[in-house]
Amino acid sequence: MPREIITLQLGQCGNQIGMEFWKQLCMEHGISPEGILEDYATEGTDRKDVFFYQADDEHYIPRSVLLDLEPRVINTILNSPYANLYNPENIYMSTHGGGAGNNWASGYAQGEKVQEEVFDIIDREADGSDSLEGFVVCHSIAGGTGSGMGSYMIEKLNDRFPKKLIQTYSVFPNQDEISDVVVQPYNSLLTLKRLTQNADCVVVLDNTALNRIAVDRLHIQNPSFSQINSLVSTIMSTSTTTLRYPGYMNNDLIGLIASLIPTPRLHFLMTGYTPLTTDQKAASVRKTTVLDVMRRLLQPKNMMVSTDRIRHINHCFISILNIIQGEVDPTQVHKSLQRIRERKLAQFIPWGPASIQVALSRKSPYVQSAHRVSGLMLANHTSISSLFERCLKQYDKLRKREAFLEQFRKENVFKDNLDELDNSREVVQKLVDEYHAATRPDYISWGAQEAAEGRS
Amino acid sequence: MSKVDMKTPAGLLHSLVCRITEKKEDDVSPQFQYALRVLGSHFTPSVESDEFQLAERIKRKLVKQRREGDAARFAELHRKLQSNNVVKNRWAILYLLYNLSHGPDRPGIKITAGEALFGQGLPTDATSTPFHHVPGMPGPLRTPMPSGGDTTGSSGISSIHTADRSDPTPTPQSFPASYGPTPGITPAQAVAQRQALGNRLALSLSSRQPHLGNGDMSVATVPSGRGTASLSLRPGADNTSFELSEAALLRDVLFVFQGINGKIIKMSSTADRFLIDPKVGVPQSWRDLLGKLSELGWLHNKIRKFVDSKISDRALGLVGQSFCAALQHELTEYYRLVAVLDAQVQQDQDLGVSVGSGGGLTLRRLVVWSYEPLQRLKTLACLVDSCKGKKGGALASVVHSYMQTGDPSLRSLVKHTLNVVSQPIWEIMEQWIYEGDLEDNYQEYFVASDPTVKEERLWHDKYSLRKSMIPAFITREQADKILLIGKTINFIRQVCQDRSPLKTKAVVKTGEAEEEGDLFTRDVDGSLQQVIDTAYRETSRILLDILHTKYKFMDHLKAMRRYLLLGQGDFIRHLMDLLEPDLNKPASTLYLHNLTGILETAIRATNAQFDDPDILKRIDVRLLEVSPGDCGWDVFSLDYHVDGPISTVFTPETKIQYLRVFNFLWRAKRMEYTLTEIWKDQMTINKLLLKTVPELATLLHRCHTLLSEMVHFINQMQYYITFEVLECSWDELWKKVKESPDLDHVIASHQVFLEDIIKHCLLDDESRELLTQLRTIFDLIIKFQSAENTMYKKAEEEMNLRLRFLRRIQENTEKGKWGVTELDEEEERTRMEEFRDKFLSKTTSQLRVISQSYQDMVQNFLLMLNEHSDPSLRFLSFRLDFNGHYHQREPKLNRSLSVSYARTRQRSGKEF
Repeated sequence: MPREIITLQLGQCGNQIGMEFWKQLCMEHGISPEGILEDYATEGTDRKDVFFYQADDEHYIPRSVLLDLEPRVINTILNSPYANLYNPENIYMSTHGGGAGNNWASGYAQGEKVQEEVFDIIDREADGSDSLEGFVVCHSIAGGTGSGMGSYMIEKLNDRFPKKLIQTYSVFPNQDEISDVVVQPYNSLLTLKRLTQNADCVVVLDNTALNRIAVDRLHIQNPSFSQINSLVSTIMSTSTTTLRYPGYMNNDLIGLIASLIPTPRLHFLMTGYTPLTTDQKAASVRKTTVLDVMRRLLQPKNMMVSTDRIRHINHCFISILNIIQGEVDPTQVHKSLQRIRERKLAQFIPWGPASIQVALSRKSPYVQSAHRVSGLMLANHTSISSLFERCLKQYDKLRKREAFLEQFRKENVFKDNLDELDNSREVVQKLVDEYHAATRPDYISWGAQEAAEGRS
Repeated sequence: MSKVDMKTPAGLLHSLVCRITEKKEDDVSPQFQYALRVLGSHFTPSVESDEFQLAERIKRKLVKQRREGDAARFAELHRKLQSNNVVKNRWAILYLLYNLSHGPDRPGIKITAGEALFGQGLPTDATSTPFHHVPGMPGPLRTPMPSGGDTTGSSGISSIHTADRSDPTPTPQSFPASYGPTPGITPAQAVAQRQALGNRLALSLSSRQPHLGNGDMSVATVPSGRGTASLSLRPGADNTSFELSEAALLRDVLFVFQGINGKIIKMSSTADRFLIDPKVGVPQSWRDLLGKLSELGWLHNKIRKFVDSKISDRALGLVGQSFCAALQHELTEYYRLVAVLDAQVQQDQDLGVSVGSGGGLTLRRLVVWSYEPLQRLKTLACLVDSCKGKKGGALASVVHSYMQTGDPSLRSLVKHTLNVVSQPIWEIMEQWIYEGDLEDNYQEYFVASDPTVKEERLWHDKYSLRKSMIPAFITREQADKILLIGKTINFIRQVCQDRSPLKTKAVVKTGEAEEEGDLFTRDVDGSLQQVIDTAYRETSRILLDILHTKYKFMDHLKAMRRYLLLGQGDFIRHLMDLLEPDLNKPASTLYLHNLTGILETAIRATNAQFDDPDILKRIDVRLLEVSPGDCGWDVFSLDYHVDGPISTVFTPETKIQYLRVFNFLWRAKRMEYTLTEIWKDQMTINKLLLKTVPELATLLHRCHTLLSEMVHFINQMQYYITFEVLECSWDELWKKVKESPDLDHVIASHQVFLEDIIKHCLLDDESRELLTQLRTIFDLIIKFQSAENTMYKKAEEEMNLRLRFLRRIQENTEKGKWGVTELDEEEERTRMEEFRDKFLSKTTSQLRVISQSYQDMVQNFLLMLNEHSDPSLRFLSFRLDFNGHYHQREPKLNRSLSVSYARTRQRSGKEF
């Protein structure tokens, strides 16, 4: 099967959302937790092969590699009904099981240590596919394994598979609550550098926004991890529907993100989803039309990234892709676009053509939904830079005090100096600058100034 | 007859006649009879019964005579008369008075008031014997026993004339005097002259009143009318003395009724009518009656001749035969009447009942009794005349046109005839709509089949409507439906190879009332419509069922969309992946079998493999005609083989349309494919290059933004194709096909679907320029790709050189030597400078050119879109410039965009 995608789940968070993602995919494709196709799943129009392959006994195995430096989460998976879904050879747990201790440097160093074993797995998976499209990495940028080992893996993947795409689903830490991980700003910054330089596309999952949405929109007082994760898995599965249910367009990952990402570094995407439902089947009898969905998707409160409104910068959309599922009258799409343009509901970049792309996708026939139409927005918006600015600010606060750096100095990367941190800061700052530049018409010649500066 | 009861109107009339003629009671018998007949005939005056007009005429006359006072008084009196309802027939009275008033004033005519009364009161017959009224020839009025036999008005012609009177211009008096028989002329000559007159008269009549309901009838009956009329019109020439008894004449007449020559009444072949032997003395009044009666014989002969000549004529066809049978039947009825009459005559003779007394048969009675058969025969004769040379449905139509009569008895006669005549048509139809068999050996039915047409074209070409043969009582819509029903059955049998018995008949029968009923009345009470509708629904349903189940029509339709319209995205994508190396080569180096192999691989590797194997084996590669300079991309095409019933929908013509659309979509898809490839290259190379060759940053940024512009353009183009073209049209098609009551609808909606797509994909003539512009844009994208590839190659080279240089430094340093020699450094610097100054500036300017012309092209394209008449293409421009990027740069675009924007706003305002 061509255009396969291999998923890498790293660390506690990565494995948790990964597990939810596979659960969701299994449900949508009618695959049982054991990987066997359910009797009712006979409608063969979905493409399972992008994410699964079939073992000799015909049961479906996810193209997934599970990596963690501590066994807790993976053991949970292995004790769940989905234990037999995964290929056991694809699970790598650090032998000592000590974890990365929420330390990026530790995770990075351990990644280096275990890379051979891990790449054995990855190479095997890559060889098992006809024409690998790329990798999807699930991780969080705050902890140790996901961020540190994740960073290392991303770098290495880039070296070893320079022509393959790397897309990440990166969970950004919750800014509203005080984290128990004190070095979180360091971790985030260091990971952000890799995401900027080595990933092709980063889907930002902002825990702040996810929690806010759970509280405000879903009316859950203290959202649990699993509730948040089900939100994430919805986003992940929906953003891949066009790959799994092929149509005229958007049948491959590259086509999907090529239209969203105009220049290499502006590849951080936010997501929005509507309508959001809770477990307790809130009998929302709202009328959902394409226009409703598209309009709601443009509302900041449905965005899964919490951005700050900064007055002096005129933030705008670089690109938008709406994936709409359900019973949609295709003639409505155009009307909705017209409406949005008339009402100026979306502000676009001033330096090039941009518009809302709409992909209509089939819905899994095996998953019942209370809503006629649902939509996911993948958007490239310049305001995402505020998230990075926040990171920078927090980092600067810590860095000024030189706090909690001893742990880092223990590892190879920081043995000699802390240049890596400074360098990362520079990269992230540049990223923020570029996002700001993208709000201005002169972005078209942005590189020129850059080059000029570089030369001088 | 001599003893007349004075109290009866007849008695009064008799005495009136005596008074007027100043003769004795017994001597006035002929005049009395004449008067009786005059009164007994129901003719209408020669002028329209318009009271106002008449009153005006009287006034005008008075004024002309310089009696203005009288005129005023008349007006006054007339007004009073009008306001007072005592007198009902005001017009008749005025008319009488008017006629009385000028009677004696006629120049050159000296007649008594009484004669004037009689003469003027007999207008109806005037035209059939116009010469009698010609001034200077007042013969019939002057002789006490005028040749008024023609005044009965029973012949068809007279009734026509009654209607004719509505036209006030022609008056009998207008005929020139020369029409009258000149003294000394031989009877034969006179007859010939009259004959000629009759013809001219008929001509003038029919030409004057072509719209007259039964125009045909007047033509048809004129000769017969002439025949009868002229029979008695031989004043002075014939022997009018009493020589024969009425009984003898009756017997003769009965012979004549059967078209056989009697003793004294014989058929004259020269005059085409029955003539009374001039030597035999027959009273004038009898001659008149005989003339009338002999018309029956003439009519009988006419019909008989037709029947005899046609009954064995095979070429006439079944309908013609039925017509003859109907006529034969009517004649038989007629013979029965004659037999009865004959028996009556015989009985009278045997009983010795003197003719004319009591209940015996007289000529006069015969006239009365034969009135109805006369009408019938007349109608039949008309039918015979109009139906000559016609057959099949056309014949039935003619017969049907005679249904338009107010006379119920004639109506039922025609209806009966029509039933018989249309019987074969119904039978053929029954066979046709239930079995699909067309047993029409004489080309009588309104469905024609062309045996030369092959199966593939059966639906389209084999059967057609023979318009001339559609009976008038079947509407065009019904005929179309009937054609469709049979065609459907034949299609099921021959093309779909389905021999299972159709149950239409049973369905129709159960839906219908038990009794077969009068076939013709089906038309009237709508049950014909019902039968047709039911049969149509049933057969169409069966056909569509067969198409859907056995031939999987919907699956083929989906396959068309999936493969020819690129709906199966993963398959198309993979196919492109596999084909790319081949298609980049010149078109002439392509080998079909290689491509077919690749196609197979692509099918096996993608979701296409889950499709029906029957569908998959129909997919094939087709190479279009190669023109010089084409590369593989230009000529490659997918093909889909269809056969059997499905090919009726997917005809070779529609397949060509599909191929055109495929070509367009394929090109657009190739652009999408190319652009993602460039994007991927940019992304991967960017990461490597910038580290070692930072001066490329500006150039690369340019490339990125230009690429993103192109990606945007192509993607929006693709979204437009998806949503505004394919999805919507497909939605429509799907809905329509599901609702289609018959195959014709399916074909039509499919055609509409294709045409819509062609139009919206800029493939129609109107958009040719746009398409050219679009192709130029596509070409630029290809050019951009090759420029980028060259640049990357060169940049990579440079990068490798630099890396090698750095590595050398490192190696040397490790060996403990100097990193680089001065010379090496110098060399490196010049090379880098050369790269920067020569290559970079060259590529930059090259890119600038591409970028500039690309933007110009797009702007032009947008301008052209805005001016396009098709609103959906304006939507495309709206899509392509969603954030107004282009129309900020191009003031012209700005203007036209805002106009079209306002227009779309208006439109959408209505729609929302």
